[in-house]
Amino acid sequence: MDAARTDPARFDALYRKYVAQVYNFAVYELGDHHEAEDATERTFLSALAGLSGFEERARPEDGPEASTFRIWLFRIARNVVAERRRGRRRRPEAPLDLATAHPDPTDVEGTVVHREAAAAAWRAVNGLSGDRRRAVVLRFVHEMTTAEIAAILDRSEGAVRVLIHRGLRHVAGELGAPDRARR
Amino acid sequence: MRDGENEAFIVDRYLESLLARRPADVTDLPPPLRATAAALVDSLPRYHPSFRFEEALAARLAGLSEPSGAADAAGELILFPATPATPVAPAAAAVDLRPGSMRRPTVIGGVLTSAAISLAGAAYVAWRRSRPPADPMARAIRAAARRRTA
Repeated sequence: MDAARTDPARFDALYRKYVAQVYNFAVYELGDHHEAEDATERTFLSALAGLSGFEERARPEDGPEASTFRIWLFRIARNVVAERRRGRRRRPEAPLDLATAHPDPTDVEGTVVHREAAAAAWRAVNGLSGDRRRAVVLRFVHEMTTAEIAAILDRSEGAVRVLIHRGLRHVAGELGAPDRARR
Repeated sequence: MRDGENEAFIVDRYLESLLARRPADVTDLPPPLRATAAALVDSLPRYHPSFRFEEALAARLAGLSEPSGAADAAGELILFPATPATPVAPAAAAVDLRPGSMRRPTVIGGVLTSAAISLAGAAYVAWRRSRPPADPMARAIRAAARRRTA
């Protein structure tokens, strides 16, 4: 991180490390691969332009490789995505290209079952609103901690826990266990 | 703490264990929530940009990183509130090669062709590479991979 700040040419390592995560976040937010590419590009261009202003908040005792760069980058991505979404009426409702997504293409039966499960999960999560959906995606797909999500969404950790809890209950209901999930 | 907040806290602790691939044996969490959490971890796909896009953007960023190019950056500076003090441990950004964690689908650039299947695997591994191996199986997989490439 320090190397990239003093020498922008070193930015490539940060780009390689995070490009897939930013793109993935954009796909979940925008529901379109081309728009996600545009948002990813804009995010990294903004990050590069603002790199000198990034302030590392990790402390030495957090470990030699600890960094708050990912939080900073995702905050940029969140703003870029929000800007792109302003002109749009609604989010897409159909799952994205899940028909081809399975790690084992030789397992046809498993592929069908997994595809259906993935499509159902995608639909249920896509049905969540705003920050509830973002919190669930950042938690379950990006596997971020509650603290990281809170920093990205500008909320308290307690608020993020509640967002995820309510999101999970909603998804449980959508996936077929409404009564038990709502207890 | 109210009931909702209390359950949210329990869910959070359970998710920590689930995402660490060591799900806690919690009795105070409704089974449907546990099952749904596991389903989301396994089912929600990860999308990876196409190789062509990734390389094109890398080239553009490299060009802009040159001393004469930085001023021409098309992006504009976005101002943010103070960066939060929460550190990101390297483990948070990444990788797990353990068997149970490999079920999540990966989609590259919206299309997964037969030629891209190995790329999907590579992308998945790259995505999660920095998570330290926490069990013997992961260490064994990494050791085998190192031997193959040595």
